[in-house]
Amino acid sequence: MTDDTQFPVKIEQPGQVAQGGNVFSRVFDELTAFCRSRSLFILHYCTGCGAIELPPAMTSRFDMERLGISPMVSPRQADILLITGYVSVKTLKRVMLTYEQMGSPKYVIGICSCTVNGGMYWQSYATAKKLNDYMPVDLYIAGCMPRPEAVITGLRQLMDNIAKGEANGWQDYYRRYDYYLGNQQRLFGETWQTPTDVIAEAKHYDLFGPETLGKHTELLLQHQKPLEALEMRLGLDAPEKVKS
Amino acid sequence: MRAENYEARNHPPSNEFEINFGPNHPGIEGNYALKVKVHGDEIVAARADGGYLHRGFEKLMEQRLWIQNIALVPRICVPDPAPMEVAYSMAVEQLCGLDVPVRAQWLRVLQLELSRVAAHLFTFGGHAATTGMYTPMFWGVADRDLLLDLFEELTGGRVYSIYNIPGGVRRDVPDGFLERLSTTLDYIDSRLPDYDNLLFTNQVFVTRAKGTGPITQAQALDWGVTGPNLRATGLAFDVRRDDPYLVYDELDFDIPTEQPGDAWARTLVRRNELLQSIRILRQIIDRLPGVAGPIRAPIPNPLAWRVPAGEAYVRIESSKGELGWYVVSDGSEKPHRVHVRGPSSMHAVQVLEHLVTGCRIEDVAQIMFSLDACPPEVDR
Repeated sequence: MTDDTQFPVKIEQPGQVAQGGNVFSRVFDELTAFCRSRSLFILHYCTGCGAIELPPAMTSRFDMERLGISPMVSPRQADILLITGYVSVKTLKRVMLTYEQMGSPKYVIGICSCTVNGGMYWQSYATAKKLNDYMPVDLYIAGCMPRPEAVITGLRQLMDNIAKGEANGWQDYYRRYDYYLGNQQRLFGETWQTPTDVIAEAKHYDLFGPETLGKHTELLLQHQKPLEALEMRLGLDAPEKVKS
Repeated sequence: MRAENYEARNHPPSNEFEINFGPNHPGIEGNYALKVKVHGDEIVAARADGGYLHRGFEKLMEQRLWIQNIALVPRICVPDPAPMEVAYSMAVEQLCGLDVPVRAQWLRVLQLELSRVAAHLFTFGGHAATTGMYTPMFWGVADRDLLLDLFEELTGGRVYSIYNIPGGVRRDVPDGFLERLSTTLDYIDSRLPDYDNLLFTNQVFVTRAKGTGPITQAQALDWGVTGPNLRATGLAFDVRRDDPYLVYDELDFDIPTEQPGDAWARTLVRRNELLQSIRILRQIIDRLPGVAGPIRAPIPNPLAWRVPAGEAYVRIESSKGELGWYVVSDGSEKPHRVHVRGPSSMHAVQVLEHLVTGCRIEDVAQIMFSLDACPPEVDR
């Protein structure tokens, strides 16, 4: 291995070209990253067991809010997607929709062993084993379940990474969209589609690369059709309230 | 976003809207969803939508050794995991004809009641939060954490303790544990007047919770409602007293009941049950030092343990209601069939669907928390 080989491979940031020449641009970027790391909103979505350790971490004893982190109900305004534990296939579809709705930059933290390798449910027919296959994960907090101290330590690590400009998993989703889409299609079926146009967003963020498109995105374009009105199977045959 | 995906479609004119209430919703408990049809803010139809937490427990357990399943079972119900491992261990003991030492039975009751106090604190904190009062939730979570510290000291785990094995429990109480338990119980006892002032006599809470989501006693019996939700309709049924297991028949406690069966009554029953659990724990503190003996019955090599063929049904009272375990063995190293009769699946599907129909949309979260349904146990 030569000296110039770096592992893990650092993803080049879009602002880095301008950094060398323009001092103002560099200072502005660093300031933005610092401010961003001090004001994080966690999406209020509890996918599994690990969610039980979040109330202690958020409330008075461990108090996440002293770090500037607080829960947020809407994915559009949230920065962090916490995957707290195992994700069943049904949940993962919602998680993918939620992830694509979140505005960039966005960060994903996988809490609990189940997001790392399937954990306790490694042989279950219903769960997705590695979260990394379906969306880029910035940080894993292992344990079943991790203690609130571990959650806080993980979040501080994420804050450091953001301030240093290293938490760039979201860029990977646009750069290698074909890979992630392929894994999603393998799990959800070939007709899987979301209302978000990830390819157009990749162009918007200037992250469109050679691996953004591929045979899986071709398959997506082939199957793609306008979304139909939500079928909720909640017509007139819904249970009537029993008069008592 | 693709604009063509959002083109206007022709719908018949209607004042009714269908809304997905969950799974990504701050008012829903855990990862669960309700599909509701609203007219204004009144709900005209509702359909429960579970399955987000399905892991296939009953199938997974058939693929693991009897002893390995002990680590798996507490994961069925996250806020109240202790009854799961106790009931599973009791079912295996029933199959093997194992006699559990008396001291182990006392320790199991200690664990069960600690878990019940923790779960109830969590629940009525959650119910308060759904009515817009966050202070009781903060207090409930903080007070529950004191109990989790005790759990950690006793069993080594904060939430999932994995303290039981078929034949007994894994370890004895540490030195000075009972004194620390007594101190914590005194503290929680002294906090209850504060909870009463803040929540149970608070006009905001009383006005919103009284009369919301009522169940009559006949309906409750028809639908298989158990636990505090049944006792809130006036029927004093508790497995601990009516079908005693472990050493509950030697303990002195009351069964709190309330008449109206609405959200307020259900949460009040939990608050009163918490007092009774503290009373039970105080009796354990007094009597446990007088119970000598081993904490575990000898079991064969657990990695090659063939449990005799047969079937066993065990029921115990968890904090959510009656919990039943049906275990079938064909004489091999793994269970042949396992079925869990969880209390929450009755509460969170048919009862919830019925109760939210006709109520207003802001009360959905409140009704769900007052039923104390546990979504991971609904889906399993």
